[in-house]
Amino acid sequence: MEDELLNQIKELQCVHDGLILVRKSASETVLSGILNFEASVDGYETISSRFEIDLIVPIDYPETLPCVRETSKKIDSNYDHINSDGTLCLAIPIEERRVFSEQPSLLGFINRLLIPYCYGYCYWKKYQIHPFGEAEHGFKGIVHFYMNSLQLKDEVSVLSVISYLYEHGYRGHHRCPCGSDQIVRKCHGKLLRSLIEQHSTHTLENDFLSILIYCSEKNEREVIKIPERLHRQILRILQTAQKQCR
Amino acid sequence: MINAIKYSRFLNSIAEEIDISPSKYQDAVNRYEAVGLWLERGDYEEFSDELTIYPQGSFRLGTVVRPIKNGFESSYDIDLVCELPMDKEIVAPRLVKSIVGDRIKEHGIYRQLLQEEGKRCWTLEYAEEDGIGFHLDILPAVPNPLTNADASIAITNKRDFSYSWSASNPKGYGVWFDNKNRSAFEFVLHEQKQSIQARSPDIFLRVEDVPNQLVRTPLQRAIQLMKRHRDVYFDDRHSNEYSPISIVITTLAGHFYRSELDTFTALSNIVDRLHAHAELIANQSINSTSPIKRTQDGKWYIGNPVNSNENFAERWHEDNHARAIAFFTWIDALNRDLVEIIKETRSEDIRKILSTSLGIAIATAHFELIVPVRSENIEVPKIHIPHAAKPWRV
Ligand SMILES: [Zn+2]
Repeated sequence: MEDELLNQIKELQCVHDGLILVRKSASETVLSGILNFEASVDGYETISSRFEIDLIVPIDYPETLPCVRETSKKIDSNYDHINSDGTLCLAIPIEERRVFSEQPSLLGFINRLLIPYCYGYCYWKKYQIHPFGEAEHGFKGIVHFYMNSLQLKDEVSVLSVISYLYEHGYRGHHRCPCGSDQIVRKCHGKLLRSLIEQHSTHTLENDFLSILIYCSEKNEREVIKIPERLHRQILRILQTAQKQCR
Repeated sequence: MINAIKYSRFLNSIAEEIDISPSKYQDAVNRYEAVGLWLERGDYEEFSDELTIYPQGSFRLGTVVRPIKNGFESSYDIDLVCELPMDKEIVAPRLVKSIVGDRIKEHGIYRQLLQEEGKRCWTLEYAEEDGIGFHLDILPAVPNPLTNADASIAITNKRDFSYSWSASNPKGYGVWFDNKNRSAFEFVLHEQKQSIQARSPDIFLRVEDVPNQLVRTPLQRAIQLMKRHRDVYFDDRHSNEYSPISIVITTLAGHFYRSELDTFTALSNIVDRLHAHAELIANQSINSTSPIKRTQDGKWYIGNPVNSNENFAERWHEDNHARAIAFFTWIDALNRDLVEIIKETRSEDIRKILSTSLGIAIATAHFELIVPVRSENIEVPKIHIPHAAKPWRV
């Protein structure tokens, strides 16, 4: 990985030569400096800008994706898409991984995730409109991401799909967890397969837990109803996970 | 053409960057003083007088360079001598090595930091939180005076399972180097201490608090730059086993330095004078006054200035003079990359040469000192966004 990372850094620096390798420790590699770009989006104006950033590449990259801090306080502190630890919230984790998988390198990360984010910020700053839309915060954003990208009818279906993915992964001949009565291959097959490919163990588990917490809370308030069958499946998953912990 | 004054400033900034920072220096001193105290306080059956601990090598000489390994900046090496008050004639090198090693192992933390036994030293590896760690090399030694007031020592040498003595004189070498450095040191002393204090007021309350050890003359800067260029030049070369050792660079730079007061002039004069010796490869003529000599039998000689019996170039004739050839080939590259570059006119070429020869990270950080910062004619990356993710928040 060391060599591969080095190559990716070189490739990145060929395009964005203001980013400088500043340190490497046991846990991370940090590039720091200036990101200049001129970004064009179909149907929107072209924006040139300059951001100062730290790009923090974790030791288990690409299993875990890098995170970014903006270091010159160019982004308003009241901008809605900065995490409490100061890192930029580029996208919902699985969407971030999906976009990253299109060009899985540091250069891809910068060009496909960070620069669009910066473009979005500049545009928002000027017109108070998000050119690419914005995800809802927290767990709700995650649930809605699955609902929209898989065209699911409600939150319970999202919980059903994520529980299924977490428990079984991709199984073409199973009945589709969306509730359609068709087998996976003929229903959500393609979409579920690429989700599994894009997730890491960690992000899949995170999404499962996030969606579960979100739905359980709504279930308790009786806003939604988790069916008995799904309930039993979730208990089974949690028990297995607990056993594995021991 | 690069303006020479600006270029000197650029070289100083680079050297400063690869140098140890004042706070790191302070950390290193604290670490080695703690180790020193631990060694001093040991209960030794073998001797009753005090042992002494002192730095040697680049840390002592003020020519520290942060090493580069496989393209990455890595940990600083700090060499310490641990001189035991024992008689070389009656003590075995193996015992000297193990007395020091055993004492280190008595300490819970040091035992964990201790690496496998080295050829000459015991190494403590400190991984620091900021990722910039230290290798503390502790060299067990005993006094080995050649004359009355001589500070020579004997250090231990492990080869397979047997131990022998080697001669060394780090204190004497330090004094020789200080003499070469003296007049420039006096000249830059006050100004540098002021600027170091101004940059690190939380470490040094007053200008007087800045230790002399942090002051750098153009000689020290030139040596740091040469070492850096060497590290980058040989980092991924197959010939890197022939890469010139630091003591050769430091000694020759010391000999050829004429108290120039500006880093570029110092570097270019040193490199010029070294360059002039390249003909020694083809021509075995012996100039008895030069610090680099060929001997009658075709071998090479670069003497330790404080012990002419020690030849830093004793292996230069091996493998068909591979080390000599590597040295002069490197000097050639050094001349082209860091000296001749001043005549270069195209800023893109300047960028390219300096960033490949000094390390891209370090060089680009200081380009604004010599070439105009990106203007319109320099390409800004143009990125098309076909689709984008929606920003979110946890
Ligand atoms: Zn389906």
